[in-house]
Amino acid sequence: MSGITVLTPTGTLGYGFGDEALARGMSLKPSVIAVDAGSTDPGPHYLGSGKPLVSDVSIKRELTALIQAGRNVGIPVIVGSVGGAGSSVQVDRTAKLVREIAKETGLKLKLATIRSDIPIERAKRAVAAGEVIDFEAGHILTQEALDETVTLVAQMGHEPICAALDAGADVIIAGRACDDSVIAAYPIWKGADPALAIHMGKILECGAFSAEPFAMDVMLGTVHDDSFVLEPGSIKRRASVKSVSAHSLYERENPFKQGGPGHEIDLSECSFEQLSDRQVRVTGAKLSETDDYYVKLEGARLAGYRSISIAGIRCPTTIAALDGILDQLKVRAIEYFAPSPISMQFHVYGRDGVMKELEQEHGLQREVGLVIEVTAATQELAHAACHQISGAMLHHHYEGIINPSGNLAFPYSPSDLDVGPVYEFSAYHLMKVDTPTELFPISIEEL
Amino acid sequence: MSPRPLREIADIVRSKNAGPYRITFDILCKEKSNFELIRSSGAITPQSVAKAYGLSVTDISSFFEIDMANAIKITIKRPRAQGSGGEGDMYGCQQHVPLMNMLIPLR
Repeated sequence: MSGITVLTPTGTLGYGFGDEALARGMSLKPSVIAVDAGSTDPGPHYLGSGKPLVSDVSIKRELTALIQAGRNVGIPVIVGSVGGAGSSVQVDRTAKLVREIAKETGLKLKLATIRSDIPIERAKRAVAAGEVIDFEAGHILTQEALDETVTLVAQMGHEPICAALDAGADVIIAGRACDDSVIAAYPIWKGADPALAIHMGKILECGAFSAEPFAMDVMLGTVHDDSFVLEPGSIKRRASVKSVSAHSLYERENPFKQGGPGHEIDLSECSFEQLSDRQVRVTGAKLSETDDYYVKLEGARLAGYRSISIAGIRCPTTIAALDGILDQLKVRAIEYFAPSPISMQFHVYGRDGVMKELEQEHGLQREVGLVIEVTAATQELAHAACHQISGAMLHHHYEGIINPSGNLAFPYSPSDLDVGPVYEFSAYHLMKVDTPTELFPISIEEL
Repeated sequence: MSPRPLREIADIVRSKNAGPYRITFDILCKEKSNFELIRSSGAITPQSVAKAYGLSVTDISSFFEIDMANAIKITIKRPRAQGSGGEGDMYGCQQHVPLMNMLIPLR
């Protein structure tokens, strides 16, 4: 088998790449352009709300360049986890941009969209049949949690993407997909060793983050019979054994064994070798298929609506009394709004706003930033409670007060800001399926 | 010699989400000798890292020493699920400071 080269333009579609890097990367004659566009990393909001992680402006600009590059030489363009979470509404939104691009550039292309939303009833049947297991959430998935779930997706493996390639797609807009599957699908479709292709996918999915200097930029990987070779698109970067091996650890827990849909990859025997100044050769990944094929579910539920208030505190007497004051305000707000439940959080920046219970340093604070956060069933109630708390805090009297004219320095009027719906993860579990493609319907259209 | 903080010996000390329920820490050294210095000191263990963060050792999800990458990897269970009430660091990328300040005894 001659080498199969994948060009990954960036770590997340919409976060940019260099024109020079793309041009140089294309001169290396890749067989496919493949890029990831999402993850759980930005939090549950994008899954729950269906709002896009990156603006349409950025996605369209970058997709235009990639589709033109792909069509010029007749190679497919694959995008996974579109919109940030890969939900159907995000697939539709990205597909619409592709239609606009085709119209505006006059390019003819066959568009495949692959959905990854899981009907709640389908997941409930699987829970009832004992076919759903916990991944890392620390609790089982319940029927009640599924009833509350507003969006449920599953991470597809490479198989549905290969099916879209079978159908002759030029551009594939895939819902939620394993990051590595998006990169690995084309090489596997062409007969590459899945172990090597998937390992390459794990490194390539972050674009030139595995190069030095690292950046959101173009990276290429070529799968051969017994190895793969990585090289950045831009000649201003290089892949080094250090940069690639360090990247292999990034954002994942176990550096040696990684599970994916239907398989586990063993990386304990991998080796990295500097092939040229800018290229690294990787060998040694092993893949074993699992007895049952599980896909990872990701679900989000609406936790309520949030309002926040931001203020600074400079007076040392207030700072010293802060925890006691906040406790009192909390109790008072709960009583005031009962029986409607409200949830309150206080972020005390300058003290432990970033690390919360993990903070172990407790020095003297000259000033602190306070973010008051209220979540309630309606935006109106969240706003009312947030203002009740910020107002009460402003004029709160405490033992030892020296300045009774106000405890909070607000940078804004209004002091309370409505920030909209709040989502939480409601499912992060594995569900058994009969086939790798059954949950991921493909539709094809000629543009 | 007096002990030195990890940040003066390692080249990278970083934290990051590994999924919504974990935060993973990487200690990376360019030089093998520095990695060996840290490893042989015995100062970085699941127990010592738990202590530096005020955690119980059962909150340490895994601990790896990776020769190939001159790296030590420690993963903790997130105190709260990513994005749930009280979240202070959505990407988990600013949790590295207690680790980088851990003291490495030098011989």
